[in-house]
Amino acid sequence: MKLVKLKDVNIQQIVNVLSSGGLVILPTETLYGAMVDATNFKATQKLNEYKKRPLGKPYSIAVTDPVMASKFVHLNSVAKKLYRQFLPGPITIISKGKGKVARGVESEDNTLGIRIPDYKLVIDVIRKLGKPLTATSANASYKKKPYKVEDILKNITEKQKKLIDLIVDVGELPHNEPSTVIDTTLDDPAILRQGDIVLKDKNELLSRSPENTQNIAKELWQKYENFSGKRAIIFALEGKMGTGKTVFVKGLARAMGIDEKVTSPTYDLLNTYGPLTHIDTWRMIKPQQELVSLGTKGLLNDKSVIAIEWADKVEDQIHKYTEDAVVIWVKFVYSSAKSGHINDRVISWGVL
Amino acid sequence: MNILAIDTSCDETAVAVTRNVQVDSNIIWSQASLHAKFGGVMPSLAQRAHEERIDWVLKKALGTKHKNLKGIDAIAVTVGPGLSIALGVGVNKAKELGKKHSLPLIPVNHVEAHLLSPLGKSKNKKERVNLDLFPSFGLVLSGGTTLLCLIKNIGNYEILAESVDDALGEALDKAARQLGFGYPGAEILEKFAKRGSNDRFTLPIPLIGDSDKNRFSYSGLKSAFVRLYESVNNPNKEDIENLAHTFQHAAFKHIEKVLEYQIEKNDAPEIKNLLFGGGVSNNVEIRKMLRALCKRYNLKLHIPYSKKLMGDNAAMIGITAFLKNRDLSRDELLKKYSDYSSVDRNPKLNI
Repeated sequence: MKLVKLKDVNIQQIVNVLSSGGLVILPTETLYGAMVDATNFKATQKLNEYKKRPLGKPYSIAVTDPVMASKFVHLNSVAKKLYRQFLPGPITIISKGKGKVARGVESEDNTLGIRIPDYKLVIDVIRKLGKPLTATSANASYKKKPYKVEDILKNITEKQKKLIDLIVDVGELPHNEPSTVIDTTLDDPAILRQGDIVLKDKNELLSRSPENTQNIAKELWQKYENFSGKRAIIFALEGKMGTGKTVFVKGLARAMGIDEKVTSPTYDLLNTYGPLTHIDTWRMIKPQQELVSLGTKGLLNDKSVIAIEWADKVEDQIHKYTEDAVVIWVKFVYSSAKSGHINDRVISWGVL
Repeated sequence: MNILAIDTSCDETAVAVTRNVQVDSNIIWSQASLHAKFGGVMPSLAQRAHEERIDWVLKKALGTKHKNLKGIDAIAVTVGPGLSIALGVGVNKAKELGKKHSLPLIPVNHVEAHLLSPLGKSKNKKERVNLDLFPSFGLVLSGGTTLLCLIKNIGNYEILAESVDDALGEALDKAARQLGFGYPGAEILEKFAKRGSNDRFTLPIPLIGDSDKNRFSYSGLKSAFVRLYESVNNPNKEDIENLAHTFQHAAFKHIEKVLEYQIEKNDAPEIKNLLFGGGVSNNVEIRKMLRALCKRYNLKLHIPYSKKLMGDNAAMIGITAFLKNRDLSRDELLKKYSDYSSVDRNPKLNI
């Protein structure tokens, strides 16, 4: 381990250590970071050992600019917007990776976090090296945030110290928070496929209030209630934020004679109220797969009623249930601004 | 009392060791935590994910000091509310450890733990726990909960208002995604909101005309926001900042209005404190608003001492288990909590 002051080292020396697979601790605008060449598998393994990381935990990488970033990840429109607004700066933006970094740096789902540090030294090093660096803090997992070199050295073992090849010390950094992580892969068009579903023999009603929406739910329940006990009933709900999907399920529950208060299942993903199961796919990353892992198959029986919000994201999976269940697609659309009233929605439904 | 606490109520796999109200270790595997960066963004593969992570998190929380549960007096575990299959992983692990080491097993309510989390202390602080705070008002604002209550005493709560649809944290994340900030975007929304102002756009404050403000609701605000957003043609950076500001402002104003109404309705001279927990307590703007509100009503605001105690975590579970049983001796504790079969997950648990 070699500890040097910034004035006693030049960029080329740092780059030399990195290109031979070394581990270097450098200051950034947030914390001291432990950096290795992110395309060198041996080097990232060394970093794993230093960080005492369990297997399967990915690293984000630091690059010089969006052009370099695009060599390693696919940037969608959400990502591009965030890059424009925030980078360089203390934000890590996750996108779909291109598999151009060392194994284990991308996540199991091939996503990769990108950071463009607002710190000249690091940018200069990356530019000269021509390779991205791992962007992770220099402390061992779950130890004190490293604002000064002493914070790091105090909390690691001799063995860990030996893994460090070079530390560049610039003294104590301002106590900025670590970077914020933001995932843009959820908004990939492949996942957000809203509006794909075309209903045959479509029925349509105008709702002018939450009460209206609840009553439409009641009418639909009365229409399909006779299947209950014979087959499972699935209400697949599709519509933008705030169009009244949860309100619909409140009405459905009431029509079914359920007294419990129905609230949004976004956070818990799944709520059950007697025979009614209420699911929300909004924040699921791989909705099809995750729906299965929630045990939906096991929830399907002749008496079960399942309401799924953002059902268009799990359309293929729901198709698989049509053997066992009656599937009613319900679409919620804000009516055009011209018709005036802010509460107006068109609710349409059909059985595929 | 040294308690090993486990929480697997939703995305986070969390284990902590607490000593009375002091936090000895508080380990959270989640995408939001610094080092785990994005290991845990797959919410509903929850069961498998929790099973894969829990032993590692447990080992980290115990450290060498409590290896093999050395020095641990009891185990506390979240039994609800939350996602059933996820809760099950924590409950099973707690039972397994309890049986192996013959320890009492204390079931804890996740929302009650958020409520009492401001009472937690860092391990370096030698302060004694102050229980003269009650009765007090209690507020939990998180991704899954929006709740105002009267804490008569620890374990005795009267709910004054809770959300009838979305939780505040969830509404902020949804507005953020509408603006193209990805998920979870509430933190980014806050950054944008800071640069924006409320002058350009207006949104209705939820329930503003209701005479009895006995609940929180965000569905109407979400609708109004989508319509407002769609009415702005090609929003530029400034528009986005103003939209973020306007949404956050209306969402927080709603909290303020309900609080004002309920505080005036329930105020009594002996109520001098407001406890505020949950992930949204990390938002600087809402803290500012609540500080001003507390000043107006002569209340003292208590928030968790660290960011890790604000979001979902297990230290608050240990702290709550202690606070609810602080008068019991070790034998009494063992007697009261030795029947493991009575400890089971309850996804819809109320406080």
